Amino acid sequence: MNAERHSQWLRGVLDLCVLSLLADGESYGYRLAQALEAAGLGTIRGGTLYPVLLRLERDGLISSRWGVGDAGPARKYYRSTPLGEGELRAAADEWSVFAARVGTMLEGVRQ
Amino acid sequence: MIDDPDWLDVLAGELRLRGLPEDQVTRVLGETRAHLWDAGEDPARAFGTPSAYAAAVHESLGTPPIPARRKVVRAEAPRLQATGIGKRHGRHRLLHDVDLTVHAGEVAAIVGANGCGKSTFLRICAGVERAHAGRVVVRGSIGYCPQGGGTSDFLTPDEHFVLVGAGRGLGRDRSRGAGRALAEHLWWPRPAPIAAARLSGGTRQKLEVILTALGDPDVLLLDEPYQGFDRDSYMYFWDRVREWANEGRAIVVVTHLLDRLERADTVVDLTPSPHAAPGVRGRHHPKGTQPR
Repeated sequence: MNAERHSQWLRGVLDLCVLSLLADGESYGYRLAQALEAAGLGTIRGGTLYPVLLRLERDGLISSRWGVGDAGPARKYYRSTPLGEGELRAAADEWSVFAARVGTMLEGVRQ
Repeated sequence: MIDDPDWLDVLAGELRLRGLPEDQVTRVLGETRAHLWDAGEDPARAFGTPSAYAAAVHESLGTPPIPARRKVVRAEAPRLQATGIGKRHGRHRLLHDVDLTVHAGEVAAIVGANGCGKSTFLRICAGVERAHAGRVVVRGSIGYCPQGGGTSDFLTPDEHFVLVGAGRGLGRDRSRGAGRALAEHLWWPRPAPIAAARLSGGTRQKLEVILTALGDPDVLLLDEPYQGFDRDSYMYFWDRVREWANEGRAIVVVTHLLDRLERADTVVDLTPSPHAAPGVRGRHHPKGTQPR
């Protein structure tokens, strides 16, 4: 797959993917990166992921707290806010419309 | 190299260069370090160069798009207005002509050397001590956190929540729920059912802060409320103060720690000035002109 194109696509939807993961419950950066990779979105570097988290938090779509786990340093745990849940629902609808339109345009050329 | 101290040091420098406040720098470093610890990755591989990552962080933390709230509340009458406050102890003039105005959504810091009257000024604002001159007008309910003495040795944290909550018109369950939620925000996840006498100094102090904030009073007066807090709790306390302000409360914090003044909208320095006439105090620094 064209890596440049893939990363451009991802840039447009990474915040929504993160919101969707956090809709299932609290999590922290590294675990979110793992979940995104497990979902087939490829390796998300810290340098890409954390700025997205900071922006979502700045805009009030997620909130955070510091927590200590079994081992290692304190981690910053994020959770979705009601505002974030609303945004996710709205964007999910818009995305499915958008993706369907692109899908229709590309339908004819698929082998 | 997994935890490359040089890379993190350079990142810290780059973040400061871009004007990030120190608490933000600490948080970004903490999160970055945790990620590197979990991932076992080379920092440059995971985050790129320190300067590129610092630039991305700085951009992501930029001004939020909806800070219009302050303008709206500004139009309202101040929550707390103290004018010309004077206080004598015998012949000694402790406070002279001190002014303080705090609107909903604002944080004021009272600073100054030991013994300059910070706590006395707060007590006057709270209405528990009488001034010899001036007047205090408070619009709304007050939560006042004195330095110690606000908790009972024999009651558990939950019992404190319920007791104080009842005094502010909250039912048993709501009091307990609100108290525990506040505890979590102050880095005290599950208050154990033990008597307050057995709590550590810092934890007991958290209990004092929680009881002050219970029932959402309009004006919060906090007298050095973070004594005994560990570093994380201290950071969390100031986050919470900001949140309370954002929720529309007016907050006054007596503090001798100057590193958090950037969090305050107003700073009143009660330290006697060597150049001023004896007893002339209460210089008022609007945001932006405060001493560092």
